[in-house]
This record gives sequence, C-alpha cells and structure tokens, in this order.
Amino acid sequence: MSQSLRPYLQCVRSSLTSALCLSNFASQTSERHNVPEIEAQTSPEVLLNPLTVARNENERVLIEPSINSVRISIKIKQADEIEHILVHKFTRFLTQRAEAFFILRRKPIKGYDISFLITNYHTEEMLKHKLVDFIIQFMEEVDKEISEMKLFLNARARFVAESFLTPFD
Amino acid sequence: MLLLDYQNVLIQSVLTERFSGAPPVNIDQTVSDFDGVTFHISTPDSKTKILVSIQVKCFNELVKYGAQQVLEREYGPYVVAPENGYNFSVQVDLDNLPDDKEARDDLIRRVSLLKRNAMAAPFEHAFDEHHKLQEEASKFTSEEAPQGVREGGQVMAIHYREEEAIYIKASHDRVTVIFSTIFREETDRVFGKVFIQEFVDARRRAIQNAPQVLFRTDPPLELQGVPGVKDSGNGEIGYVTFVLFPRHLTRQRRDEVISHIQTFRDYFHYHIKASKAYIHSRMRRRTADFLQGKCNPQYKLPTKVLRRARPENEEKERKTASGRTFKVQGS
Repeated sequence: MSQSLRPYLQCVRSSLTSALCLSNFASQTSERHNVPEIEAQTSPEVLLNPLTVARNENERVLIEPSINSVRISIKIKQADEIEHILVHKFTRFLTQRAEAFFILRRKPIKGYDISFLITNYHTEEMLKHKLVDFIIQFMEEVDKEISEMKLFLNARARFVAESFLTPFD
Repeated sequence: MLLLDYQNVLIQSVLTERFSGAPPVNIDQTVSDFDGVTFHISTPDSKTKILVSIQVKCFNELVKYGAQQVLEREYGPYVVAPENGYNFSVQVDLDNLPDDKEARDDLIRRVSLLKRNAMAAPFEHAFDEHHKLQEEASKFTSEEAPQGVREGGQVMAIHYREEEAIYIKASHDRVTVIFSTIFREETDRVFGKVFIQEFVDARRRAIQNAPQVLFRTDPPLELQGVPGVKDSGNGEIGYVTFVLFPRHLTRQRRDEVISHIQTFRDYFHYHIKASKAYIHSRMRRRTADFLQGKCNPQYKLPTKVLRRARPENEEKERKTASGRTFKVQGS
C-alpha cells in the first residue's frame, strides 16, 4: 500500500464509522412511509452535512449522512483512457448485480463512479464495523483489479507486437 | 495460435482429404475468409474434377497491379475460366495428380494460398519497382537525383474492405505500406492505441531489424492527393505505416514478408477482440466471485466480508438420536 493511500483509507474509515449512526425514522411528509431520507430529500432538518474525502483530484469519496441512511459515493482513479474504460465496464458489471450486494446503489451519483446506500435496516441486520470493512476493502480491491487489468493489457500488447515483428527480423 | 496462418485451412483440409485417395464425392462448399473473401469449392462436371473459385472485393484493382500474371505464374496449367460470380478459378483433376507425395502437398499448399497470391500482386509490383528505382538511384548522389527517382513510384491503393484500404508506395530506399483501419467503437480505439504503441516501440526495444511502424489518425503525407483518403477528424480511422527496408525486400525473403504483412490487419483486430473478451470474462468471474464469496482465499473478497457482517443467528436443524430432525423454536 502506498504512503498516501493508507491515510486516505484511514480517513474514510473513521468518517464512515462516525456517519453510520442511524436510527429508524418514519417519513415526516407522507404518512406510513419509511424511506431513506438522504434519497427522498424531503425534510432538510434530518440531513446532515455531506463530507468529501479526497486523495487527489481524481480520487475522492463523498459521504452524505442523514438520520436513517448514509450515501457513500466513490470516484475511482482514472489516469488515462484505458483506466476510464475499465472502470466504466467494471462498475457497470457490479451495478447490474446490485440487488445481490444489498447496499450497492443501482446508479452512481453524478460525478462519481459507484455509490452505496446504507440504511438503518442494514445496520440493524449487519455489524457496523464489518460494513465499514466492506467499503474499505471494496475500494482496495477495485483499485487493484483495475491496475492489474491495465498491466495485463500492456503486457499482452507488447507480446503481440513483438511476435508479429519477429519474423521480419 | 498467436500468429494467423497464411493459407485457408478449410480448403487445405478438403483437398488433403480428397487427395488422400478416398473415393471421389460431390463437393459444393462455400468458404469464407478474412476481408470478405469468399471461396467456392465444387465439382460441377464430374466427381474427380474439383473447382476452386475465389471472389475478392477489390479484384479489379488487383488486376491493375498484375494479379492475373501472378496467379497464372502460380497456378499455370490449373487455371480455368472464372466461374460465374467469382473472379478467378483453378481446377484440379484427381485422376491427373502429380505422382510423388511432395508435389501433391505442394499443390494443396498453393491452392490454399489463393487469397494470399491474389493479394500479393501489388506488393510484388512495388518490390520490383523498388529494385528498379534502387538501380537508377545508384547512378546519382542523393542531392542530384532527378525528382522521379527521389520521389518514388505511384501510390497503389487496394480497397480490400469497406472503408479500409492498403496503400503501397515504392521508393529507391524503401517500400511503404500503409493500412487504414477503422475502429467501430471507443473501446476498440483505446485498445488499438495501446497495441499500436507497442508495435511502434518494439523496434526500439527488442527487434532492431523489424520494419519501422508509425501510427497516426490523420492521413500521412504519402497519401496526400490520393483519391478516397479522407480525414475522419474524430480519430476513428487510424493509419498504420510499415516502412520495409531493403533487407526485407531481397529475393529470398519477399514471399515470406508479403504473406506476413498481409495478415497484419486481421492479426491486429483479432488480438484487440481477444483482449476485450478476456477482460470481459475476467470481470464477469470477479463479479461472480464477489457475489458467491467463494474463490481463492488469497483475495479477501468483499461479499465474503458482507456475509460475515451478518451476525450468525440462523436456525439450525437438529437431529434426535433416532435420526428424526426438528427445529428449535424461538432461538
């Protein structure tokens, strides 16, 4: 793990831990509804201050807490066109299977690559510190996978080019 | 499987089977090859006479650069009048095959290289022109050579696919082969760029004697004024230039070089597609791993973590000593 990644993840971890303080809260605007307030955006008094943790201009995490839900959006590093394509494909793969991931949001927030929505039902059902672990590990895995695929592509391209040109030698 | 074959494998296998002495049968097969080339293997008159016909999109252009002569040189006595709807035909009589096995294998090889030989004409033309220009240029010093010698010959264009073409230009010190290639979508374009960059760098790094490879998205200067060359402006069309040096153009090597360079476009796109497929299946596998949580334990997989995040309070089935099962209520 590189030197700047560790404090970045540590910061995300502690911010998330403090944000995941959720309670059951029925909707104030429509009777007998219980919706994630961060998505509904109907009562401004139950929304808390959003927080951005940025490692650099291409890599950041947005945490939007509210009384009964937290929305976490991740922007994955995309240094060049290949990484852009790989990130796009990979996040699309994941979001298409969102229901199996419980906390994954089907559509990322504008300006981010992938979003999670954790509600009070999730925190009741699952252990909070493990949920935080999940987000952190997810960020690590995705970064690693993207860079591995990029390396593979370059290695393959080099091998392909060399074997085509060798018969001319 | 890394490099593509020069010959058409299906024709090769059909002929090998027929030549092996098996009883003659009726054949009527249409075979496709790269670049929209179609072959037709049939026995129209009798079971022993196999007719192989080829249809190439740009045959008229190829004839202009001497394809007919090249094909007649290669196939000599086997050439027959072209079948209806096809450009060129050869007929092999099973009753009249060469006696020794080697000559027969050679015949199979030559027939299966029909496409290669048809496409080879402009290359041979360019190589000959290069030798001629080289001779002429050797009479002058580089400064005082007349314009014609310094500039080299005409650009020969072969529009072998819709929207894609090969351009060949001979000069006294090199032969330039330019492939225009189109990328249908963004991903192909990006992958293509990665691949082509490695082609460009390979010469600097490992293979010093390889032809120089250049890449650009606007038409190279050699193609200025050539009809049909247009700048798409959005980088959709790429121009890959191979500069063949005199060491590639010698008599002994020319056949090999012509065969090999013809496969470039297909090879290039084949590997782009293969990489895309690999990355796709890799992502699919990785997502499946994420979901099932069962995979290589060296990866600490998220869903495994997510699954662990659930406290374990599932109902457990219990058994009595007699083997009957029951569930614990209200656990």
